Amino acid sequence: MSSAVTEQIRKEYGAVHAALPASVIEPARRAEAIERLCAQGLPATREENWRYTNLRVLEHVRFAPIETQSQAVPPLPEALPGFVRYVFVDGLLRSGAAGSHPGLTVRSLRTPGPSSSATWGPCPDFPEARLALLNEAFATDALLIEAHANAAPAAIELVFAASAGAQAGASYPRVHVVLEASAELIVLERHMGAPEAASLVNSAVRADVGENARLTHYRLQHCAPRTAWFDTLTAQLAAQARYHLLTVGTGALTARSTVHVRLAGAGAELALSAAALADRQQSHDMYALSEHVAPNTRTTETFRGIASGRARVAFNGKIAVRERAGGSDSRQSLRGLLDGPEAEVDLRPQLEIYTDEVRCSHGATAGKLDQNMLFYLLSRGIAPQTAQHLLKWAFLEDVVAKIECAELRRQIERDLASQMSAAATLKELL
Amino acid sequence: MLKIENLHATVDGKEILKGLELEVPAGEVHAVMGPNGSGKSTLAYVLAGRPGYAVTAGRISFQGQDLLALSPEERARAGVFLGFQYPVEIPGVNNVYLLKAAINAARKQRGEPEVDAFEFLTLVREKMRLMRMDESMLSRGVNEGFSGGEKKRNEILQMLVLEPRLAVLDETDSGLDIDALKIVAHGVNTLRGPQRSLVLVTHYQRLLEHIVPDRVHVLVNGRIVRSGDRTLALELERRGYDWLIGEAA
Repeated sequence: MSSAVTEQIRKEYGAVHAALPASVIEPARRAEAIERLCAQGLPATREENWRYTNLRVLEHVRFAPIETQSQAVPPLPEALPGFVRYVFVDGLLRSGAAGSHPGLTVRSLRTPGPSSSATWGPCPDFPEARLALLNEAFATDALLIEAHANAAPAAIELVFAASAGAQAGASYPRVHVVLEASAELIVLERHMGAPEAASLVNSAVRADVGENARLTHYRLQHCAPRTAWFDTLTAQLAAQARYHLLTVGTGALTARSTVHVRLAGAGAELALSAAALADRQQSHDMYALSEHVAPNTRTTETFRGIASGRARVAFNGKIAVRERAGGSDSRQSLRGLLDGPEAEVDLRPQLEIYTDEVRCSHGATAGKLDQNMLFYLLSRGIAPQTAQHLLKWAFLEDVVAKIECAELRRQIERDLASQMSAAATLKELL
Repeated sequence: MLKIENLHATVDGKEILKGLELEVPAGEVHAVMGPNGSGKSTLAYVLAGRPGYAVTAGRISFQGQDLLALSPEERARAGVFLGFQYPVEIPGVNNVYLLKAAINAARKQRGEPEVDAFEFLTLVREKMRLMRMDESMLSRGVNEGFSGGEKKRNEILQMLVLEPRLAVLDETDSGLDIDALKIVAHGVNTLRGPQRSLVLVTHYQRLLEHIVPDRVHVLVNGRIVRSGDRTLALELERRGYDWLIGEAA
């Protein structure tokens, strides 16, 4: 299947490449991306780190970017106080104020300015990041966010809304976040779509967190039910940088996120928290590689996933501690909840250690709802369905409670409750 | 209030209760004592309707209705409360939510409106003072990180807030130091009244010094082998259970 699909990609690229904006990605770089992708081939489920991804959806989509832009913007979530919002529809920036915050530069690369290649750097070169090449070949817009050294903390919200069907084309969200030394920034990234959209969304996000800078990155994937969402996030952390990445995935038919964080400077810290809630035929898969290359670096990883119906939830968390990363500390806590006889949860903690004097701990468990907890709630008069909702809710709270922005946390809690069809039973909590 | 006739129950296919008879009239406190493995906790779980505890014969009538026909949550709403020997921790569900949800479930059953938020908090605070519990506990997860003693106090707090008709306290005294035991006993005693019954499942006489029972029953090998007034507990303290085990055999 892979070669037929790569041929299809090459063909579609040939038909549209002349019209793709050079200011976003230079033509030579796009062509190189296509060549590299075709040479490597698309990911396949026989590969260990792709085995839980539903890749068959790629056989039935159009890869070229959506040409006719829908004028309709799907209803957007309530705006959060303090966040400056940028809205993209089908991959193109539709609204958002440029440079609306002191100490912050936000710019769409479709507008004239220095070319993207200068800031973006090469596409990550590891097999799990292949779909970023697809983004590089086809992206029609890219947002560059720069938080300048020692600037006051700022908050940005990026909404990527898909409006069209898969046969109409794909969209390629592309973002580069740069934090200079000691900058502080919150980025909230939402991926969503009109209910009828059946799009292919393939995003590429890159974050460079400078010395002693702090990036809090919330990513919410609540795409429309028929969307195929693929994503590659790469981040590089300088000395003493702190990166808090928190993702919540509830939407899409197929969602695959590949995350690669390189702790390149001494004392850099990554806190990765991810929650996934999948039902019906949904498949949610995340591969996260945390690579410790400098001494005294630290990773804390928390995953909570619930699979109901015939859904599959997978989390593959790899922590690699390289030779020069002595004194590193990593902790993984991965838990999955099976909510139904046909649901599937696959958790895979991996440690690769090339040095001594490191501390690594990990735990991974998957199981059904705790019957002791359930009976305890029933014995207090709580209805069985409410008790189940409550325990599922509590399970995800391990991740959700880490959201420092209270308004955002409430929004996400409401969204999770509605996904669980528990908005009525849990109303006291919302 | 509670009438148990010829109760047989199995756990994992093994018969634990073997024809148990017990009657607890309204307003009385009954202690069920017995050696390890005699079936005390099984009796408590059967009353609360725990899955896996199968009743194979007999009847349990509670306020004139067939208790065995009710699901665990229906029993709770009807006024049966089980104080757990080992209360579970439920991180992510906070105590105040649980209390409120439990109160409202019972009120809904009785056709009453949901509890007023102010009235509810006033009630909870009053009961917490009685149990000498810190208010910060309310926003914590249910029993999360609580010591053994705190968990037991939390059980009694829930009981005081819910005001059940029948409370079954399973080894509420285990793991308590003497001060905590007094607090727990005081809490339980405030709930005594003509409309309420209590079943204290316990191993030791110690608790009964603080919560004086109307009747004491000895459970051996799945049956009540002897009943008496509180002096029976004192006799057990002196002589142990062996003489009754011998008699039962």
